[in-house]
Amino acid sequence: MPTTLFIPAAANAILNPLVVMVLCGFAGIATAMMLPGRREASWARVGGVVALAVGLIFSALLIRYTATVSPEGMGIYFWVFSAIAIISAVRVVTHPRPVYAALYFVLTVLASAGLFVLLWADFMAAALVIIYAGAILVTYVFVIMLASQAAPDAATIAGQADYDDVSRDPLVAAAIGFALMGMLLFVIFDKAEGVNRPVKPLNHKVYVQDGSDHPPLAPYDGTTQQLGQYLFNDQTINLELASLILTVSMVGAIVITRRRIVSTDFGDEFVETPEPETLHGPATPVNDNPHSIPVYGTQNPRAKAYPER
Amino acid sequence: METLALQHYLAVGAILFGIGLIGFMCRRNLIVMFLCTELMFQGVAINLVAFGHFWGNFSGQAFTIFVLVIAAAEASLALGLVVLLFRQKNTLDADAWRELKG
Repeated sequence: MPTTLFIPAAANAILNPLVVMVLCGFAGIATAMMLPGRREASWARVGGVVALAVGLIFSALLIRYTATVSPEGMGIYFWVFSAIAIISAVRVVTHPRPVYAALYFVLTVLASAGLFVLLWADFMAAALVIIYAGAILVTYVFVIMLASQAAPDAATIAGQADYDDVSRDPLVAAAIGFALMGMLLFVIFDKAEGVNRPVKPLNHKVYVQDGSDHPPLAPYDGTTQQLGQYLFNDQTINLELASLILTVSMVGAIVITRRRIVSTDFGDEFVETPEPETLHGPATPVNDNPHSIPVYGTQNPRAKAYPER
Repeated sequence: METLALQHYLAVGAILFGIGLIGFMCRRNLIVMFLCTELMFQGVAINLVAFGHFWGNFSGQAFTIFVLVIAAAEASLALGLVVLLFRQKNTLDADAWRELKG
């Protein structure tokens, strides 16, 4: 019974789901070989070649389907942008140096911004570049540089930390990840015919509410102005909640990284090793000298945040 | 006119999400783990914008804006936590916190 259901569905689908599953299996093995670990570098190269071959086969199957549906206009930009996004995403995961991983993530962000432009979401593309590539990634790179200038004692000869060179259970992680990816692609290519509603986006109507019972219709152009109207008319409370979340997270980040000061009855002098439960103090430093600020979290109040060299 | 189906964009989003999940599970650097979380956010954002485009309304883009808000809040809080954890153990290894039991 399942086979009789399965075969016609597979025949009508864009891609045969079994092919997708097999490709996901090969890609999983290739990614597990590419992940950093205690192996020879040739394994990573072999894995890269296998992953690239799997990607080429997958895109070739998709391109063949697209060519049978509509021969003209293959959407070359889509293929270029998605190839850049996926390859740089693989490099984010497999690159052993965190700074390079962050820079490859910038490439992924830029490529998906290109995909957003193809989807008529130009405001989202600009917001993605500004927020992700401009703000979040700069924060990441700052933290990476702050953390790696401290020269962890586990550093190997090449200056790489052990936790960057050796990944944790690459086979298990690749199996789980590609099992999920295979299931998602299976559902997308096999069962998702209903969601692909043939809407002409430029002629579709959206409501623009102006307080009346029968809001006037405005054509869906995907413009920023219409997006703003939609956001501030229909999603007002969500927008306010978003600003509240941003404010709370800003305050929370300050509170989390705040250093705690030991205050004693003897002025600015530190006492001999108070109990950890008594480590409390005012929010403002009792002494502005940065060499006297103890590290929050250590049980020794004499451990200074900026030790004098 | 429309040569690319919705499935193409959904496939790209699913692949990005899966790669981010793999990275989150197997990398040991705390910062790279959160970077892989951002990769998963990217996949979800592509899915949402593609749905919004093919269904012809703005819900997908509005959802993507909220996803960006959550990503920014998560990045600030997570990086603050990473700095805090780094100060305590002087390493970014996630396995240094192995004694934490749920």
